[in-house]
Amino acid sequence: MGVAQRSRRWLVPVTAVAVIAGVGTLGPVVADASPKLPGISAQDLLAKVQTAKVDGLSGTVRSDADLGLPAIPGAPAGSEQLTEMLSGQHTARVAFASPDKARVSVLDNQAERVWTTDGKSAWAYDSSRREAVKLTVPEHKTTKPEKAVPSYDPQAVAKQFLDAIDPTTKVEVSGTEKVAGRDAYKLRLVPKTDKTTVGSVTLAIDSKTWVPLDVTVMPRTGNDPALEVGFSTVSFDVPAASTFTFTPPQGVKVTDKKVPSQDRPKRVAPKQVEPKQVEPKQVEPKQLKPGTAKAGEPTVIGEGWESVAMIRGAQTAQLTGNGPLAQLLAKAPTVSGTWGKGKVLTSRMVSALITDDGRVFVGLVTPDTLQAAAAKAPR
Amino acid sequence: MSPNEVAAEPTEALAVGERPSAGRHTLALFLSELRLVFGRARTQVGLGVLAAVPLLIGVAIKIAGSDSGAEGFIGQIAGNGLFLIVASLGLSLPFFLPTAVTVISGESLAGEASLGTLRNLLTAPAGRSRLLAAKMVALAVFCLAATMTIWISGLIVGFILFPVGDVLLLSGSTVSLGEGLLRALGIAVVISLSLLGLAGIGLFVSSLTSTPLAAMAATFGTFIVLGILTAIPQLHAIHPWLLIYRWQSFADLLRDPPYWHEIGRNLLLQGGYLVVFYAAAWAKITSRDIT
Repeated sequence: MGVAQRSRRWLVPVTAVAVIAGVGTLGPVVADASPKLPGISAQDLLAKVQTAKVDGLSGTVRSDADLGLPAIPGAPAGSEQLTEMLSGQHTARVAFASPDKARVSVLDNQAERVWTTDGKSAWAYDSSRREAVKLTVPEHKTTKPEKAVPSYDPQAVAKQFLDAIDPTTKVEVSGTEKVAGRDAYKLRLVPKTDKTTVGSVTLAIDSKTWVPLDVTVMPRTGNDPALEVGFSTVSFDVPAASTFTFTPPQGVKVTDKKVPSQDRPKRVAPKQVEPKQVEPKQVEPKQLKPGTAKAGEPTVIGEGWESVAMIRGAQTAQLTGNGPLAQLLAKAPTVSGTWGKGKVLTSRMVSALITDDGRVFVGLVTPDTLQAAAAKAPR
Repeated sequence: MSPNEVAAEPTEALAVGERPSAGRHTLALFLSELRLVFGRARTQVGLGVLAAVPLLIGVAIKIAGSDSGAEGFIGQIAGNGLFLIVASLGLSLPFFLPTAVTVISGESLAGEASLGTLRNLLTAPAGRSRLLAAKMVALAVFCLAATMTIWISGLIVGFILFPVGDVLLLSGSTVSLGEGLLRALGIAVVISLSLLGLAGIGLFVSSLTSTPLAAMAATFGTFIVLGILTAIPQLHAIHPWLLIYRWQSFADLLRDPPYWHEIGRNLLLQGGYLVVFYAAAWAKITSRDIT
């Protein structure tokens, strides 16, 4: 056997690598090719969305978030639920039946968290703890916002909405795409200001039911979405009623809870049961401190995309210690202005300014905008 | 070791023997290959260790008592012995099963080479592809045998030590014991298929060397490197391409209804690895000099 003939055999595995890599990376792109749909104006599309009414749906929702939030090791307990949903990938099965039945189950690694309501009672179930919580739902409350009842002129409302946001935002139908196998229009909102970190917000709206199927938030810089939440599969058949019922299985600890009416059934955060971690919650000490009333209430400064939330009374003394948050802050640049002096934390999407006098400014804006807001803010 | 001494090896006898008909010959080759793999002491010891995994876990749980408060499948064993199968399979997946597959696959071609029997097998060039196929099939059968060993051992130990009954799924609903057993069987099959990618790598590495130990070490090293890469969050862009990234997806069979997406992705990836490394092993073995 000649050397040439022999080396030709190696083309087989090399070709296999190329084909597999090609199909794996290009396959989804080809499948996502834009479908052909009749043109539609943004106003018409918005009007259609308002008339959207589905009796039921079920499907799989995937979320992929990359806000560039700094990882805080040993972050305060309780905050992990929020940060968990704002980072990484998550898959959930959702089902909805008009008017008040809903089920969401988050598919964790070898575990599942389920929230379900059949309109009369609601259940939260955590498979890793094998704990279920039953909540009695007040009659008029639902876990999902009801679809808008078209008792008004959708076109007028759409126009009103467009007029209202026109000074700050460009709204356009930017094309079509396939979402969960369905043809959808893309409605794109682009901030007209460059003070925000948000590049654009794109909604994919189903061309038959006019239900939004996907939301993508792009940052001003970079090509990867900061946040994408959308259906990967969806069906508009009404799910069976049994989907929404929950029978507590044997061996599962059931807790009955009478909740204040406005609460959505929440997961029993397992971490809250555990002893407090070393780093105390930043929020707690300041609430105990006399003189700083209404500490937790944020004040909103600015409008539209430039909105900045101000939270008073964060105890900055806590941040100079040796805790993980303090270490993070130690690396952050110090800025100063007429408003005082503080530290700026920036990420792809979120910026935060922590002043020495204990105010925290947070927004989807550039650090400069934060400082400008701080200058305008009441002390 | 002279060739005469190893003439007892079944493959040896076949390779030098006449070829009655292609079909019968192929079947005989596959059967002899299976006999070779399962006749080895290390295979039997490996399967014995795997069978001991449910026993160890079961006894430990029994001693610790039911209110150990463990999360996940292990915490469910005390309430339902069936979960011993699932927990044992899950706990064997990161280490025991890959080790067993590494040892057997590293042995497959390099073992023959070290004994000198590979030379005889390779003298019939038309038979090389078939020989490789027989080796791969034997490896696949071993993967299945390994997970089924755990399934059967877990079944026996679980049913003896713990109460059994209706099975609580991850979604919070309950299915009958029969369906639970079927789902556990499905998990065993999915896990055995998850090992095929690694078996393919092992087969390829084994074709490169005539030292079985080197092949095993290299394969296991590759496995560990893949594990480390999977654990580094900054590399998330390449994670979906890594062999073991979706290994844990077997638990999706315990959802109601089962969630097939991740399992399907995992099996596709394993298939991809298998095709690539099998083709590479084929290229190596068919272009190999007879020395």
